[in-house]
Amino acid sequence: MTEVTIPGLSADPLTLEAIERRMQDRFPTLATHIQYGELTIHVTPDALIEVLTFCRDDDELRCGMLVDLSGVHWPAGDHVIDRQPSTTGWPEYRVSRDQGVIEVLYIVRSIERNHWFRLSLPTSDENPRLPSATSVYASADYPEREVYDFFGVEFDGHPNLTRILMPDDWVGHPHRKDYPLGGVNVPYENDKFIPPPNERDLRDIVGGEGP
Amino acid sequence: MGLEDKLPSGILLTNLEKLVNYSRSASLWPATFGLACCAIEMMATGGPRHDMARFGMEVFRASPRQADLMIVAGRVSNKMAPILRRIYDQMSDPKWVLSMGVCATSGGMFNNYALVQGVDHIVPVDMYVPGCPPRPEMLMDGILRLHAKIRNETFAEQGAK
Amino acid sequence: MPAHTGGGFDDLFVDGADWESLDDAVGESSITINMGPQHPSTHGVLRLILDLEGEVVTRLTPVIGYLHTGIEKNAEYRTWVQGTTFFTRMDYLAPLFNEAAFCLGVEKLLGIEAPERAQAVRVILMEFNRIASHLVWAATGGLELGALTMMTMGFREREHILDLFESQSGLRMNHAYIRPGGLAQDVTDDFVERCEALLDLMPRKIHEYEDLLLRNPIWMERLQNVGVIDADTCQQMGVTGPLLRAAGVPWDLRKAQPYSGYEQYDFEVAVDHAADSYARFLVRFEEMRQSLKIIRQAIDTLPGGPVMVQDKQIAWPSQQSIGPDGIGNDPDYIRHIMGESMEALINHFKLVTQGFPVPAGQVYSTVESPRGELGYAITSNGTNKPYRVHVREPSFVHLQSADLMARGHLVADVIAVVASIDPVMGGVDR
Repeated sequence: MTEVTIPGLSADPLTLEAIERRMQDRFPTLATHIQYGELTIHVTPDALIEVLTFCRDDDELRCGMLVDLSGVHWPAGDHVIDRQPSTTGWPEYRVSRDQGVIEVLYIVRSIERNHWFRLSLPTSDENPRLPSATSVYASADYPEREVYDFFGVEFDGHPNLTRILMPDDWVGHPHRKDYPLGGVNVPYENDKFIPPPNERDLRDIVGGEGP
Repeated sequence: MGLEDKLPSGILLTNLEKLVNYSRSASLWPATFGLACCAIEMMATGGPRHDMARFGMEVFRASPRQADLMIVAGRVSNKMAPILRRIYDQMSDPKWVLSMGVCATSGGMFNNYALVQGVDHIVPVDMYVPGCPPRPEMLMDGILRLHAKIRNETFAEQGAK
Repeated sequence: MPAHTGGGFDDLFVDGADWESLDDAVGESSITINMGPQHPSTHGVLRLILDLEGEVVTRLTPVIGYLHTGIEKNAEYRTWVQGTTFFTRMDYLAPLFNEAAFCLGVEKLLGIEAPERAQAVRVILMEFNRIASHLVWAATGGLELGALTMMTMGFREREHILDLFESQSGLRMNHAYIRPGGLAQDVTDDFVERCEALLDLMPRKIHEYEDLLLRNPIWMERLQNVGVIDADTCQQMGVTGPLLRAAGVPWDLRKAQPYSGYEQYDFEVAVDHAADSYARFLVRFEEMRQSLKIIRQAIDTLPGGPVMVQDKQIAWPSQQSIGPDGIGNDPDYIRHIMGESMEALINHFKLVTQGFPVPAGQVYSTVESPRGELGYAITSNGTNKPYRVHVREPSFVHLQSADLMARGHLVADVIAVVASIDPVMGGVDR
């Protein structure tokens, strides 16, 4: 067992700008931005494993823990961002994307140096494939299965990429924006019998030929 | 189950029915089916302050064969539904189901793809206790009403279930 | 569904009515059994598939998802304040931590900070919630390992803490009391007296539990050297919280990345070095004591002032007061919005039905929950509803290391291992 270091006291935490500089020195092509006091580094899928290995092994960064791995779906098309213009007076806000993107976010933390930052990795939402981070951080196992289950992102190199929270024969990836919320229609009427929904028939809406 | 079908209903058996129903209601053993937050309140109902043992119910039987009452405490997801049905089928007659909390009764605040909107789509329910989660006193009220319902049941009704 | 492919042995799945096939298996030594989701000793609906050789576990595969509620997706269809009521039901043993982490994230996006009184009350209630959660852990852990008296004692004390929560927020569990911007309403006048009464009661009760368990030879036998995971493995597996502290690393987010005013309170981080289940038990009990210390300091320095940020665009508009029939709308406030001020009525209406818009961006806010690092990765696209909230729940991440911890132990030790991880399936499955 290696010597245990006191967090934050073995070396001072790096400021966000120092981390940004360190990452950009090593990987000059990566975009970064700092917002709300947090650093986000935009990574491309082919550079992911190299970047993660660098984050873990570098002497300055020493991010030994992958804290979180999650996905956000930004679908393609025109979207009106609803800011209630009639009541707030705020102008209508439109966003348009040609290509739908599933953004996978990795949050890495250094316990010894007490700093953390985020890596953002976009992948197309039509056939999302990414290399698996389990070769670098073993704690990516369940979170990657969760992203696969809910977004459909396939991670190459994952030891056991199966559904984790939904039933094994479920069709569809629920956290995508094109997947409906489901549930029953609850009109507030008396004495109305609401038939039980068969959620598995969401196949009609969602499509797909099977698990 | 088989015997009750063959017994004649009517005046002949009222005293026997009363005795049997009283003994059933006085020691109704719940099966452990605590799922989510309501399970914690169910455990609190078995705890020292709101004591279910006064009513003969503190033995939570892990084996469904030995249990009489299934308190479905918590939200039933689509993955859990077949297991819920299987445990219900494994319970031996006579058996009752109490649906605790709004998630078991009707899906609760989670009107979405993941939950069964009401456990009565899966098993026949005898008593619904609303609440999110219901206070232990509310659960006790539901249980006592269920006891009253059991005491008023005839053999024919129980056999028909 | 086969859980895995055999490691040199043929898998044998016996469902019933096919007992004849068991004849062929006699002589083979590996069995796969299922500790199903309905089980008295797994913490909630956790399914464990154990590969056994005799009584010794060679592999443990947790199967989760039996409590999946789609909370994260459902929150995308509700306003930011309504999200609090959803997220509070994830980790139902420590609901205030869920609420606090979510509200800290929303406040980060909004660029506001809750008033000092709100922060102090948040700290007090969160620490009481930590004690209540550890009491449930001790109670259910004791129940599963056979110390049944611990169950009754743990729930008895928890009732006192729940009384306090009920007097402040109206609910015993799943309070939705911590809101973005502060608290739902101010604490009652007798809040400090109630807390002091609890602070007087708890130390001797913790002493009582230690009398039962600390030097109990059965307890020590069952927990020592069971489920060892050292500090390096913890970091690789993303393990935080009491498990990491029991491995010797004094990592506590309240000290390392303080939030909600924790930097003003003086407390120690409970650490042990044995990294087994007994060490985790010691760490949790010490954490309960440190929580009492923090609460004492917070009560002594409780500031006055508002409990909700004063920005009218964000602050929850309705005022509540205690009337003859319980908590309800304050009659003065009703008179104000109905009779006196149209703008106040419109503001109330808009805030309650539509909520407030939150600037676009992504944040990750963490708190130190009783189980470890609880984090909310919140993405907003500038509207009044969250675009995506992902909850990094410590129990979900810790279950990955259950396999490592349980290998080579007996079946009864698997129960101890799972109990010492303290998973809450509502958080694991969300």
